[in-house]
Amino acid sequence: MRNPNSLKQEFFKKWIKGLQICSATKKKMSIMERKRAIKLSADIAMASTRKSTIYWSHALMKNASKDDTNKIIIKNILGSNDDNNYNFNKASMGIYNSMSQNGIIRSKKIIKKSCKISRRARKIISPNIIAKKMMKKRTKVLKSLVPGGEYMDDASLIKETLDYIISLRVQVDVMRHLANNASYEINDPKTNL
Amino acid sequence: MNIALPEMLHNNTTSNGGNGSSVLERQRARMKWHQEQVQQQEMSYFNGQNDQLMSSFHQTSEAQQFHGLINVNDQSLNELVTRAIKPDPCMENNWGDFGTTDTNGFGYVPVGVGHGGMSHPTEMNYAISRTTSCPPTMADNAVSAVKPEETTLRSNRGSENFKKRKADRNQHLKEVAEEETKDKKLKECIEEGDDSSKVTTEKKSNKRSANNSSNSKENSDTSKEKSKITDDKKLDYIHVRARRGQATDSHSLAERVRREKISERMRFLQDLVPGCNKIIGKAGMLDEIINYVQSLQRQVEFLSMKLAAVNPRLDIDVDNFFNKDIFATSTSTFSTVGAGTSSEMLSMAQRQFNSLQQIMSSSGLEMDILNLNEMALRRTTSAPVPIPEMFLDSSSINQVQSFQTWDTDLDNMYAMELQQGRSAQFFPHPCTGMHK
Repeated sequence: MRNPNSLKQEFFKKWIKGLQICSATKKKMSIMERKRAIKLSADIAMASTRKSTIYWSHALMKNASKDDTNKIIIKNILGSNDDNNYNFNKASMGIYNSMSQNGIIRSKKIIKKSCKISRRARKIISPNIIAKKMMKKRTKVLKSLVPGGEYMDDASLIKETLDYIISLRVQVDVMRHLANNASYEINDPKTNL
Repeated sequence: MNIALPEMLHNNTTSNGGNGSSVLERQRARMKWHQEQVQQQEMSYFNGQNDQLMSSFHQTSEAQQFHGLINVNDQSLNELVTRAIKPDPCMENNWGDFGTTDTNGFGYVPVGVGHGGMSHPTEMNYAISRTTSCPPTMADNAVSAVKPEETTLRSNRGSENFKKRKADRNQHLKEVAEEETKDKKLKECIEEGDDSSKVTTEKKSNKRSANNSSNSKENSDTSKEKSKITDDKKLDYIHVRARRGQATDSHSLAERVRREKISERMRFLQDLVPGCNKIIGKAGMLDEIINYVQSLQRQVEFLSMKLAAVNPRLDIDVDNFFNKDIFATSTSTFSTVGAGTSSEMLSMAQRQFNSLQQIMSSSGLEMDILNLNEMALRRTTSAPVPIPEMFLDSSSINQVQSFQTWDTDLDNMYAMELQQGRSAQFFPHPCTGMHK
């Protein structure tokens, strides 16, 4: 696997490209718009640096591409690497979605129902059940945090979380560096004067 | 069994190295191996690495010099094995059921482990050519054919030989437990105290497994070194070991596999998330992970906000940054070398020492080390750069190592994931069926 440094550089390049595209499409933006654009481009850049087999990046891109203006940016960022990658992403996302939405969710609901019934019937609260509940709550939160986490099972959720954390770290590092630089840029003239 | 082969190979390497293990030990390993071959009727054809084959061959010839007598037995045993396997090509091909994915998995692995111990190179060549020409199959006829022969052979053996075998078997059975297919086909070797009953149960399980699927066999003997190559098969089969007293029905085994997988990944997460080492219990760990992810996401939000506030126009001038960097860093302890991303990273690393403790302890340090490497590289090319001493503390090195180990594992997972995506066309729910 690539080392984190090269990952950072790749991410940085893609991000800058995305930002340039953003600024090219819209000239005047409010601060919130700017913030959104920055975050979007950073997210897309982060997702595109990951391998295409990771689901969270697909989910992130899918969420981002709901908006039409964002689609252009995504296409531009991804188009720079290779089009095949994006096509593959799309195709795999389609398979994944059809698989998960039709199959897993329905079966989950059925299982939940049956579990509820059985639990009511038992009416015994053991520490085991409490622990399970705690875990369930936490996994739910984690699923809401990781993009595309709703469609993952426990094992893959943790794997995706691992990957996501790594990517987030890269993102945060690069962004902090840039932010520091930017603040430097502003502060410098003052100190010089 | 999965363990036995690498063990033997390991043994092999050490003996080749010339220290440590005695000839007896080597012999023992070989015996164990043959026993597995014949008794359990599980042949793995996935010895993809030629050097392993060569080493095993080398070992055989070495052992020949010392133990002629036992080798005669082994040779005959080998011949039996090969004879039993030889009809394979004419046997009914079970592989058609598994389509292209399976044959893909084997196509590039031409060497059969089952023949690794053979003493004649010509025979080995024959084995290689055979395995490449047709997909390996394990027919029930072969199973039944070898078993009586094997038993007679065993009775012919000397008493001390048998003792060795006995010890080996005890050892071996501890290691062997069950293999499980994802489609819930199970094969079990249940531990029992009595030796003779052990053999019978083994045989029973063998028969069962042979009838079960030819499929479940190939995975059984894959060694750890081969795990990368045989990732394809890992999708369909998972090795499970049941200890004494653990349940062996399919559901609890599947559940155990799932839990092991989760806990293993949790351990990686523990390494990754700072402050997670001291927490015991899954719930607490999940809490910590959630907090960490949330904090990272919030940081991203905050930083994007900050950037938006700082840059009135969105065009972030990269070149300007680099120039600024040079000026900024030249005044500090670093004597930066030229413009470019490396100098930028250097300044970033430098600043990170003053930044948040959390980030610094985790990813910042690992980046520092990499920067160090880069600096060294730079130094050789252009100008001398003083390497700061503070980068060279041991904790950061540990950090990098842990990261790298995780990386390799993730790579494996990637490979698995890829295969899963491919095989999804054949099996609509390859893994979710087990979890749900």
